[in-house]
Amino acid sequence: MDLKGRRRRVLPGFGITMGFTLTYLSLMVLIPLAGLFIMSSRLSWTDFFSRAVLDPRVLAAYRLSFGAAFIAATINALFGFVVAWVLVRYRFRGKRIVDALVDLPFALPTAVSGITLTTLYASTGWVGGLLAPLGIPVAYTPAGIVVALILIGLPFAVRTVQPALEDMDVELEEAATSLGAGRLQVLSRVILPAILPSILSGFTLAFARGIGEFGSVYFIAGNMPMKTEIAPLLIIIKLEQYDSLGAAAIGVVMLVVSFSMIFIINMLQFWSRRYQ
Amino acid sequence: MAIEARNISKKFGTFQALNNVDVVVPTGELIALLGPSGSGKTTLLRIIAGLEQADSGAVYFDGEDATDASVRERRVGFVFQHYALFRHMSVFENVAFGLRVKKRSERPSNSEIRDRVMELLRLVQLDAFSARLPNQLSGGQRQRVALARALAVQPKVLLLDEPFGALDAKVRKELRRWLRRLHDEIHVTSVFVTHDVEEALEVANEVVVMNEGRVEQSGPPDHVYEHPVNSFVYQFLGNVNLFHTRVRDGRVRLGDTVLECNGSHGEAVVYARPHDIDILREADGPDLIAAGILRIHAIGPIVRVELQRDGDQQIVEAELTREAYAAQRLIVGENVYIRPRQAKVYPK
Amino acid sequence: MAGAVQLRLHGSQRGAYAARTESPLVRRILIGTALMFLVLVLVLPLVLIFSTAFSRGIGVYLSSFTDPDALSAIRLTLLTAAVAVPLNTLFGVCAAWAIAKFEFRGKNILITLIDLPFAVSPVIAGLIFVILFGSWGFFGEWLAAYNIKIIFAKPGIIIATVFITFPFVARELIPLMQAQGSEEEQSAIVLGAGAWQTFRRVTLPNIKWGLLYGVILCNARAMGEFGAVSVVSGHIRGLTCTMPLHLEILYNEYNFAAAFAIASLLTFLALVTLVLKSIIEWRSARQTAFENPES
Repeated sequence: MDLKGRRRRVLPGFGITMGFTLTYLSLMVLIPLAGLFIMSSRLSWTDFFSRAVLDPRVLAAYRLSFGAAFIAATINALFGFVVAWVLVRYRFRGKRIVDALVDLPFALPTAVSGITLTTLYASTGWVGGLLAPLGIPVAYTPAGIVVALILIGLPFAVRTVQPALEDMDVELEEAATSLGAGRLQVLSRVILPAILPSILSGFTLAFARGIGEFGSVYFIAGNMPMKTEIAPLLIIIKLEQYDSLGAAAIGVVMLVVSFSMIFIINMLQFWSRRYQ
Repeated sequence: MAIEARNISKKFGTFQALNNVDVVVPTGELIALLGPSGSGKTTLLRIIAGLEQADSGAVYFDGEDATDASVRERRVGFVFQHYALFRHMSVFENVAFGLRVKKRSERPSNSEIRDRVMELLRLVQLDAFSARLPNQLSGGQRQRVALARALAVQPKVLLLDEPFGALDAKVRKELRRWLRRLHDEIHVTSVFVTHDVEEALEVANEVVVMNEGRVEQSGPPDHVYEHPVNSFVYQFLGNVNLFHTRVRDGRVRLGDTVLECNGSHGEAVVYARPHDIDILREADGPDLIAAGILRIHAIGPIVRVELQRDGDQQIVEAELTREAYAAQRLIVGENVYIRPRQAKVYPK
Repeated sequence: MAGAVQLRLHGSQRGAYAARTESPLVRRILIGTALMFLVLVLVLPLVLIFSTAFSRGIGVYLSSFTDPDALSAIRLTLLTAAVAVPLNTLFGVCAAWAIAKFEFRGKNILITLIDLPFAVSPVIAGLIFVILFGSWGFFGEWLAAYNIKIIFAKPGIIIATVFITFPFVARELIPLMQAQGSEEEQSAIVLGAGAWQTFRRVTLPNIKWGLLYGVILCNARAMGEFGAVSVVSGHIRGLTCTMPLHLEILYNEYNFAAAFAIASLLTFLALVTLVLKSIIEWRSARQTAFENPES
């Protein structure tokens, strides 16, 4: 039995491309990430918890990061659905441009969106100037952070729902209508259940991106300890205080949350395919 | 070039795609691998081409062991089921591809390539379409480009995977005849895979009937059709009526017909094709099978009569020529007798 | 024929009107809501960037780029992209080839691992390299002994950028090449083509637009990265500042016109990326319409 001959693959290049892929992946991503976990393992459990979880300043930062990301992701899920719906179902002038523009936050450097939103929503800015007389400050408050995270999460919310809406069989809606359902009933009983997994994965993606976001939030947040200081900024502050163990500990907590998000997204995708 | 595949076995996970298969293709023949889906026919073809590796067994080209030769070394022509034309290349460039990628020392000059490609395109009657892209062609035209492309490198063997599978019925018939004529012209050893019985019987010099990873029977089409070795081949090759009976003393009785049966005891099934069933108005002897006429389809040259046996209520189908039908003037509801002119019995 | 198709569409739309769409009023409200939202979140910022950039006239705008610190930032940004983009492109092509053209165990895990940098906060991306190469890091002493500086120097900026832009090309190519299957490559091999010939003549022409988009997106992100680079850079003016970091310094000095001038250049790059993406999508949509005219 010539095992070598039997195992040969028809197309060439598997060994070299796979070898390079794994080597490069390990060197650039896996080993550096492992380093973070090894570093934080130098802390005892109690030390780890007191520094990365129970410290009031850290807790406030988590609350702000997760809270703002959650609100922004919720707003994005709602408006993202409306935008996706309009883009898929209706025809109007300039639709192609609008469709292309949805990806802007994905391509725009975060520092650029950061300084732009800050200028826009400061009390002297175009929008902030309108809101300030009403007693609604945006820039340098948690509301400003939410605004920045809405911008950052928008493409995720729209682009996950859009294909699901496109793939939806119109016959389902026609069948429901022929059975006597009104338009709102069709929406709530036929359309929403079908695309709910997509809305949820869009929400989760936007949320995951939101907790880690730095550039766009950094400028608009104002960065006041306990008030408008986000978790990623705290890592930088710890590093500047030469506390790399503390920074690593916060980093580990955030990574664990992010990786759980990926897991949830994968589960959601698995769940959405259960009828196929 | 002759092809021999010896003791080929192949598993995909737990699925036994091929189980100890032997196939021999003599030089210059056109052979059909015929079978239902999942019978392993495409896997066998891909193993011959070298696109798949067998778990065990060997492939010989002209007596030489080619089992461990790579696809490139085997120099076969392969026509994919969905053609796999290079979508960004014109028809001309698709056909020229095999010549252009040859080593510089073996590569023909540009003018030679042009001559060869145009000659092939004339052969497949597409010389007027050489500048088109694949997506500007119909299915039948794409099929012929794929064939010309495979032939351009002058392969010693031509392998075709369901060559007409993706085409509609009419184009299919035309291309079938055309492939037959083409083979008569160029005589390259060819193997094609199909699940269409009519196609295999009409086009091939020899058919290999496959089922569940095994070769059930092989031989010239008329022989295989007339003398199926087992019930699977019999049923697969055409419409059939089944009669369940018992074997007594190595014999089986169906009405007044007596058939020899090797299996000495137990149950057996008698197979008779609808066109081998005679319908009689009057009993001309004892022990005939009585039946009533349920329906008559008299459209086209063949008249199909659906009958129900009196005893076990079994449905029997008979096919008559229009002349025989006109002579007998059968009517629905009438009670008649049936008798198989020819039948086969296989022990259960 | 196009006219006939369009007419038929109009007819069927009217026929199924009640089943498939809302009243014109509801439709207008929805379109209006969506557009208002997008104007507020996307269009206003775009307008602001360019209007602030040119607020002090074209002369000031242009001088923002000729300032020596700005020039050094542009040079460093270009250098960073010049390393990160080719490396990640090579990786993307290799990974997509291995994943799309072959079957092996653990493929889904590999795809998830490749996507990992997407889920990592940019600040953490910077942090992990500080932990590896910083003075208290795992290799800190060793690097100091050989007098190699990575953190607070250019190599760190480049490495962090490579990490951040790691998945972009692979992400574009893997689904594209999986959808295209490997039959065309198989026929090329059967016809006697070698590995390189098959890739260059058959695979590359089929993926060139997706590859181009992946490269452009990777480039845009490489030039625009802020968080990760900010952690490892040390903000040494004229030395370890990329364009986004230079922009931050200008902004913090209240030099808004110059800051937004730099921002406008980066925005222009982002807009080019979007235009290219639309062209590619439009082309591939037209191609599929061509291939399945009945659908």
